[in-house]
Formats: sequence, C-alpha cells, structure tokens
Amino acid sequence: MSIARVLAVARRIAQGFRRDERTLGLVFVVPIVVTALLGWVLRDQMDATVRVAVAGAIADQAAQSRLETIAAESGIDLEVRSLGLNASIEDVRAAVRAGRADVGILIPIQYGGPPAVQVVTEGADPAAESGMMGALQMLLLRAFEPSGSGLLNGPPTFRHETVYLSPDADTLDVLAPVFLGYFGYFFVFLLTGISFLRERVGGTLDRLLATPVTRVEIVLGYSLGFGLFATLQVIVLTLFVLARIDVPAIGPIPAFTIGLDVQSVGNPVLAFFVALVLSLGAVNLGVFLSTFARTELQIIQFIPLVIVPQGLLGGIFWPVDRLPDILQVVARALPMTYAVDGLREVMLKGAGLGSAVVQGDLAVLAGIAVLFVALAAGTIKREVA
Amino acid sequence: MSASAAAIEAEGLHKTFGSIHAVDGIDLALQPNRVYGLLGPNGSGKTTLIRLIAGLARATAGEARILGTRMPSRPMLRRIGYMPQAEALYPELSVRENVAFFARLEGAVSNDAIDRVLELVELGDRRGTPAMHLSGGMRRRLSLACTLVHEPPILFLDEPTVGVDPALRVQFWAHFRRLAAAGTTILVASHVMDEADRCDELLFVRSGKVIARGTPTELRQGAGTTDLEAAFLHYAGLDAEGRPLVASEP
Repeated sequence: MSIARVLAVARRIAQGFRRDERTLGLVFVVPIVVTALLGWVLRDQMDATVRVAVAGAIADQAAQSRLETIAAESGIDLEVRSLGLNASIEDVRAAVRAGRADVGILIPIQYGGPPAVQVVTEGADPAAESGMMGALQMLLLRAFEPSGSGLLNGPPTFRHETVYLSPDADTLDVLAPVFLGYFGYFFVFLLTGISFLRERVGGTLDRLLATPVTRVEIVLGYSLGFGLFATLQVIVLTLFVLARIDVPAIGPIPAFTIGLDVQSVGNPVLAFFVALVLSLGAVNLGVFLSTFARTELQIIQFIPLVIVPQGLLGGIFWPVDRLPDILQVVARALPMTYAVDGLREVMLKGAGLGSAVVQGDLAVLAGIAVLFVALAAGTIKREVA
Repeated sequence: MSASAAAIEAEGLHKTFGSIHAVDGIDLALQPNRVYGLLGPNGSGKTTLIRLIAGLARATAGEARILGTRMPSRPMLRRIGYMPQAEALYPELSVRENVAFFARLEGAVSNDAIDRVLELVELGDRRGTPAMHLSGGMRRRLSLACTLVHEPPILFLDEPTVGVDPALRVQFWAHFRRLAAAGTTILVASHVMDEADRCDELLFVRSGKVIARGTPTELRQGAGTTDLEAAFLHYAGLDAEGRPLVASEP
C-alpha cells in the first residue's frame, strides 16, 4: 500500500476535472438548477379555479351564492354553474365527461331524511381529486349546518363516483400509462445519443460521408433502426403494465404476480402508437445532441437537461395548467407534455383515434420528430448535401 | 465541364486552418492507369490534400475536379474509393457485415463482389468474426476491402499498409498494380519510402507544397543519389543530417 500511488490516482482525477468544465458544471450547477426547478414547481402551483356543476336541491340561486360565499371565506376559488333543479345524475356525468366541470354535485330534491349528496369527478387524477373531495365535503357540511341558515337539514351522506376510472383507482393506475412513454423516451434517447456519438468520434461518420449516402438518409436510417428497438421496448413495457399473470407457489417460492394489472380503458394499440411517435422524436434528439458531446459521459450529462425537466413539467405529477405561467410555456414546448396527455386520454378516458385531443397530440409529436430529423441532419457537417 | 484526359485535377488548391496553411497552392493532373505516391512527413498536408480532392473538405481557394466534375460532388462519390488513415469500422459487426454495409451505401453490389474482395484481403475465413476481435493488420485489410468493394475508378489510399505485414504488403501492391493496369487512378499517401518505389510517379510534399514530382528514377537522378530518402532531404533543402522524415512539422 503506497500513499503516493493513491494520491497519484486522486491527483489524476482532479487534473482531468480541471479541463472538463462541463463535468464541473454538472457537479455544481445542475443539482442547484434541478432543485430550484422542483422548488418552483412545488411552491408556485397556481390555485386553479374549481369548476363545479350543481344540480337538484343545490342548484337554486340562493344555494349557489351561499356555496360561493363559504368557498370565498375558505379561500377556495369556486366557479359554480347550475345544471338546473331538475337535472339528472346523467346530466351531471355528461358535464364532467365533456370537461365543462371539474366536479359535479347532485342533491336530489327530497322531503325528510338526510340529504344524499352525489359527487361526480373525472377520475383521471385520484390524488388531486381526493384533495378536492375533502375541501368540497367541508364546504358542503358548512353549508348544511343546521344552526345557520343551512340549505337543508340533517348531516348529508356522500357518494362519490368517477366518470373514467373507478373511484378507488390508485396512483399507479394514473401514472403507469405515462411511464410507458417516459421510460421509452429516456432509454431511446440514451441509446441513440451514445451510438451516434461513436459514429462521430470513431471516424465512421466521416467514412460514411465519403459514400453517396445523404445526411437525411443517415438520420432516417437511424430513426428506422432504433425505431425498431423502441417498438419492441414499448410493446414489452405495455404488456407488463397491462398484464397480470399469477404464478402459484412452487415449493419454497411463494406465489407472486407478474405485471402491474393496470386497466386501460382505451385501445392499448393506440397507446403504443403514441409512445412510439414520442420515441422517434427521442432518436433524432439523441442524434442532434450527440454533436454537443465529445464523450459518452457527456451524453449521460444531458440527462438532467433533457429527461428531468420533462419529468417535472410534462404533466406526469402535476397538471400543466397548474404550473407557474412561465413554466407552462416551457411545458407546451416539450414532447412529453403531449405524450402524457395523449396516453392519458387513451388509457384513462378511452379516447380513440377519432378524438380531436389524441389527433392533436399525435400531430404535435410527429411534428417534433420531423423537426428533429431536420435538426439532426443539420448537425452532420458535410460539403455536399 | 471540359473533357479532359486527366482523371484527377487540381488548380491552385489552398486550405487554411486559422493561420496554418495545410495545403498551400497545389496543382495536379493525374492520369488513369497509374499509381501516384504522395510522400511527406506527418503533418505535411497529405491527408488534407486527399480530402480536398475527394470533396470531403472545401478548399479555401482553388478547385479540384474528378473525371471532369468539380468537387465536392455527391454523385461523384460513388466513383471514389477512400481509405482513411484510421480504420472506420463497426466493431460489433462481423467482417462480412462491415463490407456489405459499405457496399450497400455505394449502390447495389453483388454478393460475389463482397466475397471476392474478402478473398483478396485474405479475410475469407474470418468473414463471421466481429471486427473488434481482429488484429490491427486485419482491421487495416478490412478497411481496404470496404474501400475496394464497389470497384471505383478513382482510389485514394491514406497510408494503406500501416500495420500490414511485409508478405501481405507485397500482395496489396500487386493488386494496386492490377487495378491501375485495368484503368484505375490511384493516389497513395505514405511516409514509407520503400513503398514509394512501387509508384509510377511521386509527389514530394512538405508544408502544404509539392516540392518535387517525377518518377522515382527521375527524382533520384535529379538529387544525384541512389536512395529516395536522401532525394527527399535534397529537395526539402535539408542535408543528410536533417530531421528524420517521420518527425512532426514544427
């Protein structure tokens, strides 16, 4: 054991770092930037107006204004619209399904007995909705207070139903479709970035350019080649997310389950297609960014810049329209935002290819993929096209 | 474009990188059926000159033409074989897969052509070996196979025999001679003087300029010496005690 040799190794590492500003930046600047971004997202969430559609006993003018007053006292921004005294639970469901309201409340007009409150929510975001439910129950309880000028007498009973998923869906049911797109994107980006960097550094790209191949041909070939792997990856991941295979106990090995058994309301093939178009964008992003790296380590260093912001801002954990204004603009420029939206539309809400939302998401994702084909081809230096 | 007998032409080619004149006013007219040797120390501008002529880099001034077409020209690349100094191979692909890949990029090339070129570089029995498991000399041979597979009429070979053993080097040169006899124009960059004698005509390059040109015999006679190394030193204005040819430029 020689201290001098240990020190020689340590010194060599410090000397290498000194000439690699980018790694120094990664070590000191990026953690701060990412933490700041996370802090910004968490602290400056906008209090979105909760849009409530009311029907039945709660739908008259007096009840509405009382509800709004109590909400304002509690600091909740409530926008109440009436579906009418005679609206049915079907009308309430339709309002929520069409996105005209975040919450629908029906209190059937009845005589005697405690009011039976029926609450309808979308069901696409259990975490946010359970918070909203809590606030609503509190509001309604106050509105029903027998001592005050309550709307009705007696403690109300609540029944919660959701338009899309079952009310007891867990967070995994909502996140799983999104992870389909996210992990596919992540690995495809890393794979192509490193692979194309090897072409640039290893001299094969230069050698390719001494053949009649065009730059766009190279980039499209990459898209197709890695697209094949992205396809297989997304297929396997989709199957794992949706499947449930129960393996019985064999000898000392206890019974276990393979797959997450997540329910997809919509067509899994369409969900797969959304994730695939997202992945094709990742291929070309990898080719594009490989210009700005000299080593494989530097490709890895793009992760905090490419992958982390998309995870924070893409609508995976927090809805895009609750983000601070500036971050909303950023989020609208990220492919992940559209993929998350599309995947949720399909898998949670059962949207088909005919849905305008899904079409819009696919169009934006395809546009981004095409844009990066052009950008990637542009990064290949050549004297002739 | 004027029809011209010369397969490769250059007029006043210049290439500067910042304040460095890598190629400093070179004129050429190279004929088919001949092997030309580009001789000079490392850093003398041989590789840059080849890249300018082949259209892989753009000249600061002057122009290069191949078969009468001004370079850079993408269609003309199909008629060029370029073997770079460093092997540009895909390490995960097998020997045959590497050759087949470049063959497909050059246009449809038959399986026969691929097998023929593999036999030529004596890698026929290694066709399934991944390139990463080849020795340095074998990688050089594979790189040559990738260059020759589409049978181009114009060949640029940048130090093709580095790391190739003497017996195989003789076979390489025998094949270059056969190709030249069949009408190919070949430009070989080298700093190995014993290879120079196998060329029909030599261009001595130093500091981006052609300092002498002629057949090996003419150059020896002009310098009044029997040895090409001494001839180079003579034309470079260095005495017999001058720096060795392989030394880097200052």
